[in-house]
Amino acid sequence: MKKEEHIMGKIEPAIPFPNSRFVHQQTLKRGRAIRSDQIAGQEIQETVGEIRLDDPRLSCRDVSVFYGDKQALRGINLDIGRHEVFAMIGPSGCGKSTFLRCFNRMNDTISNCRVTGTIMMDGRDINHNETDPVSLRVRVGMVFQKPNPFPKSIWENVAFGPRIHHLAKTKEGLHEIVVKSLQQAGLWDEVKDRLHQAGLGLSGGQQQRLCIARTIAIHPEVILMDEPCSALDPIATGKIEELINTLRKDYTICIVTHSMQQASRISDRTAYFHLGNLVEVGETKKIFINPLHPLTEDYITGRLG
Amino acid sequence: MNKQLKKRYAADLRFRIYGMSAVAMSLLFLLLLFVSIIGKGYTAFQQTALLLDVYIDSETIDPEGTRDRAVLSSADFGAVIKQAMQKIFPEVSDRRDKRALYRLVSSGAEFKLRDQVLAHPEQIGKTLPIWVPADGDVDMLMKGSIARDASETDRPLKDKQIAWIDHLISEGRLKKQWNTTFFSAGDSRDPELAGIGGALAGSLLTLFVTLLLSFPIGVAAAVYLERFAPRNRWTDLIEVNINNLAAVPSIVFGLLGLAVFINLFGLPRSAPIVGGLVLSLMTLPTIIIAGRASLKSVPPSIYEAALAIGASQMQAVMHHVLPMAMPGIMTGTIIGMARALGETAPLLMIGMVAFIVDIPGGIFDSSTVLPVQIFLWADSPERGFMERTAAAIMVLLLFLIVMNATAVILRKRFEGHR
Repeated sequence: MKKEEHIMGKIEPAIPFPNSRFVHQQTLKRGRAIRSDQIAGQEIQETVGEIRLDDPRLSCRDVSVFYGDKQALRGINLDIGRHEVFAMIGPSGCGKSTFLRCFNRMNDTISNCRVTGTIMMDGRDINHNETDPVSLRVRVGMVFQKPNPFPKSIWENVAFGPRIHHLAKTKEGLHEIVVKSLQQAGLWDEVKDRLHQAGLGLSGGQQQRLCIARTIAIHPEVILMDEPCSALDPIATGKIEELINTLRKDYTICIVTHSMQQASRISDRTAYFHLGNLVEVGETKKIFINPLHPLTEDYITGRLG
Repeated sequence: MNKQLKKRYAADLRFRIYGMSAVAMSLLFLLLLFVSIIGKGYTAFQQTALLLDVYIDSETIDPEGTRDRAVLSSADFGAVIKQAMQKIFPEVSDRRDKRALYRLVSSGAEFKLRDQVLAHPEQIGKTLPIWVPADGDVDMLMKGSIARDASETDRPLKDKQIAWIDHLISEGRLKKQWNTTFFSAGDSRDPELAGIGGALAGSLLTLFVTLLLSFPIGVAAAVYLERFAPRNRWTDLIEVNINNLAAVPSIVFGLLGLAVFINLFGLPRSAPIVGGLVLSLMTLPTIIIAGRASLKSVPPSIYEAALAIGASQMQAVMHHVLPMAMPGIMTGTIIGMARALGETAPLLMIGMVAFIVDIPGGIFDSSTVLPVQIFLWADSPERGFMERTAAAIMVLLLFLIVMNATAVILRKRFEGHR
């Protein structure tokens, strides 16, 4: 650990620190004179809070992500438990989405993106070269920020995953999976009469639930959600949150969110990211009521970000 | 302030007027083009035919009475036709006059009669009324393209011939009919026997080969370059080269085809297969460029969504990205194929500019294509080829419209799945 800190400290000055001035002013206002390079170089170095869990679903050790020469994530250590809703919060550009995309290797699709470190899932390293990203994505599903149903019918949207993975032998079996997934996603009652109409004809919230149905149709173990409600109105958001609540007993859910209220409402544990560093991890209640790190406090009280 | 505003509105109006006049101008030229082509060409869809009462003399065509097909097909039907003409004008006896009289009938008449007799050999020995094509000059006179009041030396028909023609008209033996020959026949030295059937078949076969080659190869190349290929110096080089190829003058492709496909591979000259190969080379860059642009415009979120539920890269592309890009790819293909249809220069290099009478039956037969046929006819001195040139242009344009309409329908079908 000590050695890594040393290396990071050395890397730090070479990397532009876009928000440094802002942070500096913010901290000055609070009357605590902390120099910006101190925040960057030292204070954030060590993650505050309990990063280790017994029997974790996902276990990240020293995960760093680079976009070309630019380092987006700096040595993240974090465990995510089974059947928990894990929220990641932080200002824009802090690397939380990038981190989320490490779990299903979606970063592979970005040509100049490089991920180092290990992410263990059931004793296997996700990030290892020999891990097949396609079979990994069957186990780790993902819901995106903007609802992105395929330009096909509702039925086809849900059936695509089970079909390409041969989860059903007959058309009836496939239909059963589609129905069950839509029911689980709480969309069945709204769409049962128009299964063969275009998925894009649904409202934004319904589209997002369709995307969730599509994800759970292939029975993943982990569901990643990248700001799933940011494009939705409060009512649709409420429905998605309700859905997350019912899904938590079957799945591990990692959710990136900009809404701190949402994080506090639905998550068991929360992580706060800042400029590529994991600042603080802990039980959601603790983080929101009694944050340990000054940056976390600044963020959740609205002074930062 | 108010002055300024007025000025701005005036500028606005001026700009709109410029735009409208540009549109009006182009429409005017288009109209001019259509009027001139249709005005010149519509007469070619009618053809003057001559009614003859032919006594099919078995002495002349089948002296041994065997009814053998080989004997019949090599029999002298010309003589039979001449007898029929003689019967209408018994007073013509001078050798020179007779020759002038016989010239009123097209040389295609005896072939028509032969086919008729071969199909119905039982008609031998009977008198048969039959419409045979009249000579091109008679046709021109009937259509008013040869002035009757010009001096005798200035027109191809002599006074005597015109008198005979008038006699035939008065007997109801000369009539303008729908010109089926124009659509069914191949090329000919006689305008009244020449048709675009051969060129149309040649164009179809050539375009078929072009589409068959350039569409799958172009789409595959576009998909690979856009979705799978790594971005490096090599792919950059390939991209630059594809863009350059799209701008290469088409005759260069013709030279390439001559050197590679004909001289090196030994493929037949003047054949649709070679024409198709050359035109595919020309069309490929267009399809690849359009395909890549269209693939690029598919939102990445769809691709990501497919990957996120465990589709392989290929499944994501084949099931989702490619269908969404298809309308754009089709547009590129239409543009490329339309260009290929109208292309003449590269085909001249590979020998498709030949005089070919037979209608091609396959991609290895000698043939010509519509634009080359138009070029050949425009070069011919006979008056009858002028209207045929214009008519062939009309057919070419119609072909183009049909092709585009089909593509638009296909496009709509693809878009309908959304």
